Amino acid sequence: MRVGLDARIRLTRGTLDLDVALAAGPGEVVGVLGPNGGGKTTAVLALAGVLAGSDGWVRVDGATWHEGRVRRAPDRRHVGLMLADPLLFPNLPAVENVAYGLRSRGVRRPAARRRALAELERVGLGPQAEARPRELSSGQAARVALARALATDPALLLLDEPLSALDPETRARTRSDLAARLAAYDGVTVLVTHDPLDALTLADRLVFIENGRVTQAGTPGEVLRQPRSPYVATVVGLNLYAATGDSQGHARTDSGSVLVTTDPTEGPVWVAFSPSAVSLHRREPEGSPRNTWALRISDVTLHGQTARVGLTGPIDLTAEVTMESISALGLRVGQQVWAAVKATEVRTYPR
Amino acid sequence: MRYAAGLRSRLTLGVPAGLALLLLVVPLAALLTRADWSRLPGDLATPTVLPALRLSLLTTSTTAGLCLLLGTPLAWFLARSEHRVTRWVRALLTVPLVLPPVVGGVALLMAWGRTGLLGQHLAPFGVQIPFTTVAVVLAETFVAMPFFVLAVEGAMRGLDPRLEAVARTLGATDVHYLRTVALPLVLPGLASGLALAWARALGEFGATLTFAGSFPGRTQTAPLAVYAALEQDPQVAISVSIVLLAVSVLVLGVLRGRWLR
Repeated sequence: MRVGLDARIRLTRGTLDLDVALAAGPGEVVGVLGPNGGGKTTAVLALAGVLAGSDGWVRVDGATWHEGRVRRAPDRRHVGLMLADPLLFPNLPAVENVAYGLRSRGVRRPAARRRALAELERVGLGPQAEARPRELSSGQAARVALARALATDPALLLLDEPLSALDPETRARTRSDLAARLAAYDGVTVLVTHDPLDALTLADRLVFIENGRVTQAGTPGEVLRQPRSPYVATVVGLNLYAATGDSQGHARTDSGSVLVTTDPTEGPVWVAFSPSAVSLHRREPEGSPRNTWALRISDVTLHGQTARVGLTGPIDLTAEVTMESISALGLRVGQQVWAAVKATEVRTYPR
Repeated sequence: MRYAAGLRSRLTLGVPAGLALLLLVVPLAALLTRADWSRLPGDLATPTVLPALRLSLLTTSTTAGLCLLLGTPLAWFLARSEHRVTRWVRALLTVPLVLPPVVGGVALLMAWGRTGLLGQHLAPFGVQIPFTTVAVVLAETFVAMPFFVLAVEGAMRGLDPRLEAVARTLGATDVHYLRTVALPLVLPGLASGLALAWARALGEFGATLTFAGSFPGRTQTAPLAVYAALEQDPQVAISVSIVLLAVSVLVLGVLRGRWLR
């Protein structure tokens, strides 16, 4: 019976001191995000049981895979593992790669083959069944790896950056294949990614791991609204500051800037506003209660019709403006501009 | 990039280089020029030569089989272990490579001889190893196994360890993974290791003579037969040498063509 995942992983490897809790119900996809070296992959490998020396526990569907002296070997856990590198067995054709898990578990060749072919067809690779891994494109190889991981009906599916090795176009197609396939899967999926799009489109819940600790966990909606670490803010694209708020609508950041808000919270707070709430001006703007700063442009990057402008000064922030205003204002890197944010756009919430 | 070398530097390097080549090629050429091709079939059919060739074929094949059966698992452990002890084991393995074969023969006598470390426990059962065909195989295995293990270990180290992690999550045990993925992938290394070991076993002389003696039909392998024939009928020695040379070149050719870069 499907119950889900309940895990606490504690281990030390090199400079990494990892202590994270992961939980999910059946059919749920948990997106694990975080900077490189923060422990995402280590956590996944510990769940798979291929890393020794982990403390804590791993319980899946009511069975204890790891706790105290119980240490199930990877082949006795019921996981599917897929990494950025598809790692197909190069000596076996696609269908035998997919059938490998079933054959290892003693399923007879014809039955294993039938199931493997069905899995390949689910990811649109029926015609490539007999192809050797080196004859497959990167996107096809990734789909074979997914089919192989799912062919054994694992209780826990571990996907570590499954799309990161693909070119953008292939990635988009493979992402939708993955979404469709995961929708039909009733076990728990743990999806490690550094791509916010993967996380927001595929995951039901997000867990951020930084420096071996969970810095934030929640639904994508919660995380988008109230990021709770600078890294999370970068991922969801918000300007975020740790500050101390008062009841008058002022929040003083740890670096000393004071922001005005119509949404006051007292005590230690997070202050957040969207880059699109920032307007840029050649001269100091006047009018309704707003925050204004004279800042220097540190970088400009283009995203389609909009531009993200990095600004530094008394406060560092990112502004999102249209291409038109870039040219109308004649913005250049190194130039000084006035940045303004309306008090109504500034949100605060307790830290 | 190539550039024109002065005559002087060409001479200072060219002369020793040419000498080195001569030292290697002249003996082989001499062997071929002294061969009496019409006598070759007759020489090989003599009552001492034929059994020696047959014995060599038997013992070297058995040695190769032992290497494959026992050396492969050893290479597997060595390739996967990062333990400090592994480094010592690997160093130990290279000893038979550089050891004078006669010393190897003496060491084998000390182990398997009637009063030897292991032999003394076998003697009460009437089992005597030295100066038997089994001794020939043991001597050949002693010198050939390191070649095989080191070649196969090198190939296994080239495998991506993540392949094994994936196989393990798919329910594969060590042995299943080894059989279905690792061995097929290291097949070239396995083949070249096998050929190296086999060629080394075929040429084994010193350890065999010391530990097994040179009894025709029982322990006199082809190289020992060549040495014995040299005193009685040098032409027979030349003919058998030609055969061994041909076999060596053949092994090398097969390796070059298929597996060696």
